[in-house]
Amino acid sequence: MGEEILRMEEIDKSFPGVHALDHVHFNLNRGEVHALMGENGAGKSTLMKVLTGIYKKDSGKIIYEGKEVEFHTTREAQDAGIVIVHQELNMVGDLTVAQNIFIGREFTNGIKIDDKKMIDESKKLFDRLHIEINPTEKMSSLTVGKQQMCEIAKAISHNCKVIIFDEPSAALTEKEIQDLFTIIRDLRAQNLGIIYISHRMDEIKVITDRVTVMRDGTYVGTLITKDSTKDDIVKMMVGRVIYEPPKEKSMVAPGAPVVLKVEHLNAGKMVKNVSFELHKGEILGFSGLMGAGRTETARAIFGADPKQSGDIYINGKKADIKTPEDAVRHGIGYLSEDRKRYGIVVQKSITENSTMACLEEYMNGIFINKGKEKKAAEKYIEELATKTPSADQLVVNLSGGNQQKVVIAKWLVKNCDILIFDEPTRGIDVGAKNEIYKLMNQLASQGKSIIMISSEMQEILRMSDRIVIMCEGQKTGEVKIEEATQELIMDKATRNIN
Amino acid sequence: MEKFKNNVFVKKVGFNRVVLAGVLILMYVIFCVAIKGFAGSAHLMGTLNYVYFLGFLSLAVTFVIATGGIDFSIGPVMFCCALIAGYCFGTYKVPMAVALIICILVGLLFGMFNGYLVAYWSVPPFIVSMASMNIAKGVASLFTKTQSVSWPRVEEAGGWFRNLATANGFPVGLIIFLAVAVICAMLLNNTKVGRYILCLGSNREAVRLSGVNTKKWEMLAYVICGILVGIAAIFFVATYTTVQPNYGDQYNNEAIAGCVMGGTSMAGGLASISGTVIGVIIISLLQEGILATGMTKDIQLIITGVIVIVAVYADVVARRRKN
Amino acid sequence: MTKKKSALGVLSNQKYIVILVVIALYIFFFAASVDFRKYTTMVTLLDYSYYYVLMAIGVSFPLITGGVDLSIGTGMVCYALVGGYLVHNVGLPVWVGMIVAILFGCVIGLLNGVLVAIMNLPPFLATLCTCMITRGLGSLLSFKNAIPWPTAKQPGGWFHSIFKITMAGNTKIPIGFLWMILLVVIMAFVLKHTKFGRYTIAIGSNKEATLLSGINVKFYHIMAYVICGLFAGLAAIPYASAIPTIQPGTGAGMELDAIGGAIVGGVSATGGSGSIEGTFFGVYVICLLKVGLPFIGLQANWQQVITGLILIGAVMIDIVKKRRAVTAAA
Repeated sequence: MGEEILRMEEIDKSFPGVHALDHVHFNLNRGEVHALMGENGAGKSTLMKVLTGIYKKDSGKIIYEGKEVEFHTTREAQDAGIVIVHQELNMVGDLTVAQNIFIGREFTNGIKIDDKKMIDESKKLFDRLHIEINPTEKMSSLTVGKQQMCEIAKAISHNCKVIIFDEPSAALTEKEIQDLFTIIRDLRAQNLGIIYISHRMDEIKVITDRVTVMRDGTYVGTLITKDSTKDDIVKMMVGRVIYEPPKEKSMVAPGAPVVLKVEHLNAGKMVKNVSFELHKGEILGFSGLMGAGRTETARAIFGADPKQSGDIYINGKKADIKTPEDAVRHGIGYLSEDRKRYGIVVQKSITENSTMACLEEYMNGIFINKGKEKKAAEKYIEELATKTPSADQLVVNLSGGNQQKVVIAKWLVKNCDILIFDEPTRGIDVGAKNEIYKLMNQLASQGKSIIMISSEMQEILRMSDRIVIMCEGQKTGEVKIEEATQELIMDKATRNIN
Repeated sequence: MEKFKNNVFVKKVGFNRVVLAGVLILMYVIFCVAIKGFAGSAHLMGTLNYVYFLGFLSLAVTFVIATGGIDFSIGPVMFCCALIAGYCFGTYKVPMAVALIICILVGLLFGMFNGYLVAYWSVPPFIVSMASMNIAKGVASLFTKTQSVSWPRVEEAGGWFRNLATANGFPVGLIIFLAVAVICAMLLNNTKVGRYILCLGSNREAVRLSGVNTKKWEMLAYVICGILVGIAAIFFVATYTTVQPNYGDQYNNEAIAGCVMGGTSMAGGLASISGTVIGVIIISLLQEGILATGMTKDIQLIITGVIVIVAVYADVVARRRKN
Repeated sequence: MTKKKSALGVLSNQKYIVILVVIALYIFFFAASVDFRKYTTMVTLLDYSYYYVLMAIGVSFPLITGGVDLSIGTGMVCYALVGGYLVHNVGLPVWVGMIVAILFGCVIGLLNGVLVAIMNLPPFLATLCTCMITRGLGSLLSFKNAIPWPTAKQPGGWFHSIFKITMAGNTKIPIGFLWMILLVVIMAFVLKHTKFGRYTIAIGSNKEATLLSGINVKFYHIMAYVICGLFAGLAAIPYASAIPTIQPGTGAGMELDAIGGAIVGGVSATGGSGSIEGTFFGVYVICLLKVGLPFIGLQANWQQVITGLILIGAVMIDIVKKRRAVTAAA
């Protein structure tokens, strides 16, 4: 491990209503892989965005190669040698791979772009990374994993000194992750500083030298990876919050009736022949890597995306679900992973959001009975303990956890019996997370049936009565909570079927 | 300033609308002082005559803009309604009542056409507007054999419809317009249609995933727009006599100006009928004032263009500040 | 990389389909009407096509960025009026009038670019406003006069020979067509092989990613509109050559024919893809209809209706294609 290349001191950053970074420290050496860990919303990505000039810090110092710096654009950071491989891929779909890798610094012959040279250089980069991608292919036609590799190729082509990987493995298969690690080790040997953001404990142990943990926008501490245990890190991440205890056995009454049965569901390329059953009062966990087809399965069941074939039975009767309208009529509610885009109308009030799915029950002739709908909204504000001054509050002014409760309220107002929770705690702070867990358990005990899609292994093990595991669009396993272990689930989630 | 903003009355009506009403009064006073003879009832009537048809156009486009869409075929479609109905009256001798119904029907058909393409086919609204603008002009010209159409005077047979705008000097049109505006406001704020239009304008996908048939409601916004455009055509011919094919574009901008000035957001999801009403009166007063000074319509085109740019930019800035 | 394209692949490319449509339309009118076969008809057709071609090449750039420019029609008339006023009423040489028209176009283009890229106004709305503004300006700056540019025989009429040479025996050679081909080649090169072109596509495809790649998105976004304005200014010249007297207050609706041409030629209405060659042929689909329909006994107004329907049809095809691509990739 070499000398220090980067130090961030007392970094502070606020957004309206959120203190995103509260005097955070971080330092990085040459030839080191340094993990940055924390739960969702801990401030890891924000810190990196401050470093690379996407956000402007309110106060604090960034010292890079011995000098204090401040980047105003990603371009400035790139030119200085700091590049980021984003979690959300930043690729221009209509351009080719080579055009994407060299965008912004094309080789030119006079005014003509030298595409041939760019293709050759891309090939060299891919050779160096030992990956096979055709540089003339359109970016939008590649798989997510391959697009990720292109991002890495783009990053190293900058001749950088610091690379930031923002959750790089989330979309990769086991094989691709191993390839990625080979590349990272290679880069470390070349004396680069590498920041690795992830919340997969196993990877951290394998690939990193040091770990810095953040929680709720604050710096918690830095550990030497090989001298610390997983438990040490988890404790630092979670802090004093006490979660619902992990489920040791299924809470579902034996012989509980099947409320939802999915048979041989096919939809697009991401859902292949998926079948499963959901019992009354059950929480059925859906585990798998990002891009395994879980969300797509949920959306196909809900009628949000078209399906090619397959049957859905609700309470034993075949249900013809073509649109979300049909699904809601059959008593299915869907909480999307992307709340702001798919869950709530942020510029409208809690009341308006709560009655969205069943406005017809709050009508007086052709007019909306505003008193009645407000009462309904208030009932669930109380029941779900939503923190808000009133039911007229615009949803945009609520925190993530409370917004999630508004979405749940929408489905409870509609009286849905089958709820699909897609990443229910994403972007929710640690304290509010446990409230959502309690709520889900409470709903299940009241006889609601829940499908929970989650990428957090702890969440899956803590909440599920039974676990369905998917990989590359297929169901690769189904285990009872009593038999489930992290290793078993991971094994099924990364199994390449062919 | 803060005190004024927090005044109970101001809060209830909305700060923007109070300011807008202030602007309207100020403008009228300035015109009266600066332009000789503007204070009389003649110019007031002139302004109102303009308010009648422009008001309905502006209300029409408010519904579409609330969905986050746009319709700038409304001006030519209004002319198309007036031409076809007028031609039916003049050449095919249909009764006046039928002619007026034809007016609304033609508007309705265009509304359905636009709405179907936007909602069910996801064709970008500006493309649909551009296309139906030309279709409206073409159809009207084909129907009337490229002739202008004259509607009867009040003393002629069938001229009774002019009383809808002004009867013996009494502004009936204003009352009808305000009544329709109240209905529109109730439609937008107190019914399912309005609720869904505003919500889907704000976040279409979230509304769809709540099990709402967003396509249907979005199309309905365009249908309402079409009907109101048909009504606008009736009031246009009730105040002016001759309608020529291939015109009508300039009213698009004036209608949109009235709407966005009133606080309806181009991004969708936020609409104010009372704002639109005041905005339309301001635009109408402006055009009367410009004509009264002896300047031409050209200046008005430019001013309206600048007004829309400023109003929409103000909305863009306000939204950016909120986020 | 092997660039083999199957016959089917070629056929599914809109560019090639459009060429076939142009040929088919020509054959159709050729067969249907004796008068259409005349040489002078072809010359007229080409005369009327130049300014549409130029406008369409220009508007392809804003369209590919995911925007649009609705001010090109009234704008072109405004530039022709202002340039013509300087030549006809003030007595300046023709080349001055031409340069003023072109520069005026660039200025309005710059204004559009600033409104869209810096002030973040929706493109259709910003340019709808400049459409009205240029219409007003055109009649104000020409003092409401209809303006004739010099005829071919008058002094200063040399500019007609840019587009058309009159040979002995009054035969006219439409050399303007060669200029159009030259400009198409140049602008196709600009779109495909220069940074400006590449970033135009990138902005239309994924603006956020383009910004994060460290590209000065605002500059290139503005430039797309400036180029559009430049070409609207250029279009004023063949317009002045083809139309004997330019009327203030006209020009609305011409943008539809130009935009329609671009979209029929495969430019995506939602941005991110398109080609200048495609636009070129797309314009000729529209122009053939415009000139050809009266020859088979249909009024010119039919063309308005048909263009509107074709525009919607072309966009629908694009949407269906994209939907299919999404389903296939998902």
